[in-house]
Amino acid sequence: MRLEKCWFCSSTIYPGHGIQFVRNDATIFRFCRSKCHKNFKMKRNPRKVKWTKAYRRLHGKDMTQDSTFEFERKRNRPERYDRNLAENTLKAIKKIDKIRVDREAKHHALRMKGKRAKEQKEATKELEQSIHMVKAPAALQEEPSLTLPKIKVQVLKPQTENHLMEE
Amino acid sequence: MSRVASTWSTVGRSLMGSIGNHSSGLLRTSHDIMTRLGCSNFFSQQQRTFIQMRTNLKVVDNSGAKRVMCIQALKGKKGARLGDTIIASVKEAQPRGKVKKGEVVYGVVVRAAMQRGRCDGSEIKFDDNAVVLVNKQGEPIGTRVFGPVPHELRKKKHVKILTLAEHIA
Repeated sequence: MRLEKCWFCSSTIYPGHGIQFVRNDATIFRFCRSKCHKNFKMKRNPRKVKWTKAYRRLHGKDMTQDSTFEFERKRNRPERYDRNLAENTLKAIKKIDKIRVDREAKHHALRMKGKRAKEQKEATKELEQSIHMVKAPAALQEEPSLTLPKIKVQVLKPQTENHLMEE
Repeated sequence: MSRVASTWSTVGRSLMGSIGNHSSGLLRTSHDIMTRLGCSNFFSQQQRTFIQMRTNLKVVDNSGAKRVMCIQALKGKKGARLGDTIIASVKEAQPRGKVKKGEVVYGVVVRAAMQRGRCDGSEIKFDDNAVVLVNKQGEPIGTRVFGPVPHELRKKKHVKILTLAEHIA
């Protein structure tokens, strides 16, 4: 049993899934589901299709080089079964997966860094430029404090209540 | 329309096959070219079916025949699939070969465009329909087999064809 990678989207193909297409020059294309297969038949380039791993790696959205990828390289020599080896491999797979996920999260965080500052800058700029769509310019000139979104109002409620009570 | 489509796709495939070394960059650019040439989306959405009477098949050994037309699928009410034997009539042959035009021969289907399920649950399909001519005992007439063959043939006891094959899919 071998877990293959889909030619189009690079996801793993588990046993019992997918279609294998063999071209006459003996190149084998494996697809994980009919979505990838149909895209292939439409002659779409996976490097241009946004949701594939190929696109994401090419455009720097996902990690490209990492030592954790070395463990998943294809090995063609079958290993003799050794129970200890199998047990250790299973444990290692879990750990390597965790490390890989952590590193991907870090990569994503690094990619998204500076987004909050950028959004804040854009918001303040928009406020400066387009406040006239919300408040009339005449009103803004009268009270410059109106340009700020927060306005503090003193509540005079207890004195009025006393008045009513007196009457 | 579908016939035109199939010829277009075979032209496309042979183009890509003849490019030789398949560096992914080259393959991708030829893909781009094909899409830019305005290939419609309806191209390969054909429903592939069995090999039945009047099906033309390519002959992929050096027995002398080039094209063969199926006249009977042994086993199977609807037709033959990957790995089955058929009776065929030779429609086109090379001038000096072991078989001549008009002969009735047996053949083993080694490539079928219709997908065939494997015992592990996946499916396999090829680009075209191809056959290897055999005699009544199941031994191939030719001495070479071209192109990839599936390993379904092992179960059907066509071991000789597998040994002659250059690539087993």
